[in-house]
Amino acid sequence: MINTILIVDDSPVARRMLKTCIPKDKGYEIFEAGNGQEGFEKYKELHPDIVFMDLTMPVMDGYQATAKIKEFDKEAIVIVTTADIQPKSIASVMELGAFTLLKKPAKTESIQEAISKVEIKMKKLQEK
Amino acid sequence: MNQEASINFSEDEKDILQEIMNIAFGNATADLAEVVDIYVMLSIPNIQVIGIGELPFYLKDTIKDDGESSIVEQKFWGNFKGSGLLVFPSGSGKDLLAFLDDRADYHHEGTAAATLEKGGLLEIGNILIGACVGKVSELLSTFVTYSPPQVLQGKSSDYNYLIEHFDPLQTAIVMKTIFTFKEKDINGFLLILTNHESIDWLRKALHEFMGTYE
Repeated sequence: MINTILIVDDSPVARRMLKTCIPKDKGYEIFEAGNGQEGFEKYKELHPDIVFMDLTMPVMDGYQATAKIKEFDKEAIVIVTTADIQPKSIASVMELGAFTLLKKPAKTESIQEAISKVEIKMKKLQEK
Repeated sequence: MNQEASINFSEDEKDILQEIMNIAFGNATADLAEVVDIYVMLSIPNIQVIGIGELPFYLKDTIKDDGESSIVEQKFWGNFKGSGLLVFPSGSGKDLLAFLDDRADYHHEGTAAATLEKGGLLEIGNILIGACVGKVSELLSTFVTYSPPQVLQGKSSDYNYLIEHFDPLQTAIVMKTIFTFKEKDINGFLLILTNHESIDWLRKALHEFMGTYE
């Protein structure tokens, strides 16, 4: 069951856009971080069920932050949300172990579909 | 009177425009990747509101022209109106052309080499400026028409020619994105300049865009 979501993006506007795409009736607790370093620190503190991760950020970018989170917790669910949709960028984040990559701007359908896929994965893991 | 204060473009509006520029340039690089095997490392866009009278100084400072820059310029018209400038180190056109056509013969000199380099710059410029401005326009629910791109090269330290269609007493919004073509280690940047008459429309369009997320 998904309880907590962490949004990592340097753009307050992008975080606002993404938040509006997350269903409000599920009672998710949403946390935010403004760069990859802050995102990693918050991951360690909060252990969120899903991380939405931007790629191009100051201090620590999304590639490094995803790598650090996956190193800390190999089961972490990191959904990359980015404007950088070059094939090599997509391949790189998937190699790092991202759950999926969603193209910006955030769209309600794609965000909810990704959350549903995470729910299915978590359910399957619980059934094992 | 400060030109920036006079048009009252808020930090929130700048943040929205920054995110839109980020999305647009990301899409433009993906479009480029469809045509050529190139990987573009992106940076966070920077948005500034500048008096047109200050723009030549801004460009001179930003481009740091010592005769070592090549600039592709493309104008666009519509509700969203202005110029796109793609700035590369001089001489990089030949490297860029090699991405576009790996069978081409680059062992030319003089005029032939300059023509080839110009061709490479124009092609990359056309894709990146067109795709970026096009995506901004799409996100803001409008459309623009373009002039053909042109290469501006040389030792000119006077950037007035870049802004000759702007009113010097008015204000422009400058959106800047720095990028690196990783394989060739070529750094460049894209500037999108919008003129004063677009600003009221732009502000309204930005709020309508965010309104779809409320």
